[in-house]
Amino acid sequence: MDEFIFRAKNITMEFSGVKALDKVDFEIRSGEIRAVVGINGAGKSTLMKVFSGVYPAYGGDIYCNGRKVSLKSPAEAAKLGIRIVHQEADTAILPDFRVYENLLIDDLAVETGMFRYDRKKMRQKAAEVLTALGIALDLDMYAKNLTLAQKQMLLIAKQIHKKCRLLILDEPTAALGKEETENLFRLVRRLSETEHTSVIFISHRLAEALAICQSCAVMCAGRVTDEFAVDGNVDTKMIVAKMLGKDVACHTESAGRKEALDTAPIVLETEHLCDGKGRFDQVSISVRKGEIVGLAGLVGAGKTEFCKAIFGVGKLSGGAIRIHGEQVLLKSPVDAVRHRIALVPEERRKEGIFPAKSITFHLCAASLSKFCQFSFLKKAGMEERARAGIRELGVSCKNEKQQIQFLSGGNQQKVVMGKWIDADCDIYILDEPMQGVDVGAKQDLFRMIRKLAENGAAVLYASSDVPDLLSVTDRIYAMYGGRIMAELRSQETEEKEVMYYCVGAPLRA
Amino acid sequence: MADVQKKRLGGFLLDWSAVIAIFLCILFFSAYKGTSFLSFANLTNILLSMSITTILAIALTVTLACDGFDMSACTLASCSGYVFMACYLWYGMNLFLSAVICVLFTMAAYLFTLFLILVCKIPDMLATCALMFVHQGLGQWFTGGGAISAGMPQPNGVLPKRTFFGEDFVSIGKAPWIILIMFACVLAAHIFLQHTKQGAFLYAIGSNRTAAALSGISVKRYRFLAGMITAVFIAIGAMVVCSRNTAAQLCGCDNYLMPALAAVFVGRSVGGMEKPTALGTVIGAGLIVILENGLTLCSVPYYILPAVKGGVLITALAVVYLSKRDSFDS
Repeated sequence: MDEFIFRAKNITMEFSGVKALDKVDFEIRSGEIRAVVGINGAGKSTLMKVFSGVYPAYGGDIYCNGRKVSLKSPAEAAKLGIRIVHQEADTAILPDFRVYENLLIDDLAVETGMFRYDRKKMRQKAAEVLTALGIALDLDMYAKNLTLAQKQMLLIAKQIHKKCRLLILDEPTAALGKEETENLFRLVRRLSETEHTSVIFISHRLAEALAICQSCAVMCAGRVTDEFAVDGNVDTKMIVAKMLGKDVACHTESAGRKEALDTAPIVLETEHLCDGKGRFDQVSISVRKGEIVGLAGLVGAGKTEFCKAIFGVGKLSGGAIRIHGEQVLLKSPVDAVRHRIALVPEERRKEGIFPAKSITFHLCAASLSKFCQFSFLKKAGMEERARAGIRELGVSCKNEKQQIQFLSGGNQQKVVMGKWIDADCDIYILDEPMQGVDVGAKQDLFRMIRKLAENGAAVLYASSDVPDLLSVTDRIYAMYGGRIMAELRSQETEEKEVMYYCVGAPLRA
Repeated sequence: MADVQKKRLGGFLLDWSAVIAIFLCILFFSAYKGTSFLSFANLTNILLSMSITTILAIALTVTLACDGFDMSACTLASCSGYVFMACYLWYGMNLFLSAVICVLFTMAAYLFTLFLILVCKIPDMLATCALMFVHQGLGQWFTGGGAISAGMPQPNGVLPKRTFFGEDFVSIGKAPWIILIMFACVLAAHIFLQHTKQGAFLYAIGSNRTAAALSGISVKRYRFLAGMITAVFIAIGAMVVCSRNTAAQLCGCDNYLMPALAAVFVGRSVGGMEKPTALGTVIGAGLIVILENGLTLCSVPYYILPAVKGGVLITALAVVYLSKRDSFDS
């Protein structure tokens, strides 16, 4: 195999004035497995999209074996042997097709002048491909019946059975279990050793990345902040610091409440809660009355699934949920609401709002029965409540009749959270409540959350934004790979320490 | 272990429920009605009434294969029928020429359907629902609000050039030709969908549009191809209906939509394919027609039969959607 060197120089990428990549240099040689680690939003995926031709408007130069190339489309990248396996396996497979058809359908699409769909020939070729790669998959299985790990293997096989010099794996382990991850790693190692394929391995899970890679690049805020060879004595603490960049000063206003909280009754408690699909495992947490508890973890850590499970969505395979000390069975969100649990979901646009409905409707939606007389809505009362809510929350809008879709993200979120205030819930679950919320609105929302707690509610606040968590919560659970890694007091910890657990660094040390 | 077996048996019964239902129907009707059901004449009769439903259902199969939908297929077939009859009777063209014009007309009309769906991006269901009424209105405007049959003058009073049907015309709608045409359509669709790469691409689009596009398949181009093939089958269906009725009845094909849709959805579940296939569609059409025929023999009033057909469609849809995952169970 001849030597292959892929080099990128001064790569810059802007999205409407915001620099996602800032003069990034990157180099990888044949047979090298190189990790790119960084927290969410560091620019890892953007860089890979540049390499795979998805973002043709990049600045800077890319060289293959010293020759300057332009990556203006995915097809051009593929021609150079640069292939990418995207994070979401389900978007890239054909569920009603068999494994061998999925494997070879790309080839069929580019071959011209052929009408015949020869299953026998395809199956034979697919068998050869999979044997050569050492991947054990049932050729005749429908792709929809594969496990997520198998789907990922299939997609990798689909990419590498053709000319592949540089394989990019974007968060390939995000949804895999331990054994499946090991299988994937074995395949990647074999590729680099026998085929001399270069592999870029994207992850925000430090422990995993260090387990497989020979070298590692750390990204932070659109720059590569550090590069090093992976050997026995890697300082994980130092890497976490590099991933975070500058320390952000966090102020906690909840000082002095600590003693009172330690004796408050426990409102929500889970014991060894396990997800039916293995997305979280043995999660035990507790939230006391008047307490704001953070759930820190990066995307894919299992936070959202855990939050939904407490709200009665999804099947559990074990463990117990206790509310006010009593074990409960939550079969659906209806049960959860009956136990006075409120959920502010992660994807506001998809799950949290009715775009064309008014602010009034949203603010009163959770407590409609208060505004009813014999099932008829009392409109005047609702509007009065809405006006009061808008004042209280500081929502900037024309008036209470405005449709929520025309508000800014921060104001939408204020309204979404505002509707629960009147509903008198005991437990509030907030999943990434600050997504797309500007700094000013954030402070208002923090005040609102604190007020909820002061009024005696138990709040569970899940987020990947550690500074936010530090500034609003009393206690933080750090989650990694579906498990709780540590329980920390917000007063006594710092961003570095929380992130250290969120990237799974202790597993490496 | 017993649980797994039970599950597997349940899956098997569900997968082959359509075939089992056909057998049960045949058993029941032959036990109850004996030779009047199981006679050669009645079996031919079943095949005859099956053929139109099957041909139109094949048209829908091709659209549904790539995740399209067409509620206006049968109203378009009525319009194609008017054009076919007008060419043959009013303008006195020969059968072959009339057929060619009918096919070309249907394809041209289908271009408009595809324009709405692919260019204007109206969801299939809504676009074709609106088109149904457009077809009905424009079709009747063309015929002057009446049927086109032998001896009737044109709306503007001009006498037709041809006043009686030729032997070739009438034989299209009779056994064995109508049955042969049906089998030819099924065979053509089966070969296209199962053994050409274009057919495989249609299924790929129907299976996961994003993944198909990522595999380098041009979704729009293949949906266009599917539309044109659908149009050809619609035209064939229209001509067969006209010949069988020896007239282009007002809205003569409109009522075939329901049984045709039912046939496709019944066929979807056959053998656990979970996608519309030509052979599955034939089985679906068979089930519906046998049921209809048997019930008529048992002197069930004809006006109740739509409820039976609707019931079959509902059952088929329940089988299709019951097996799908609950979307809220994310």
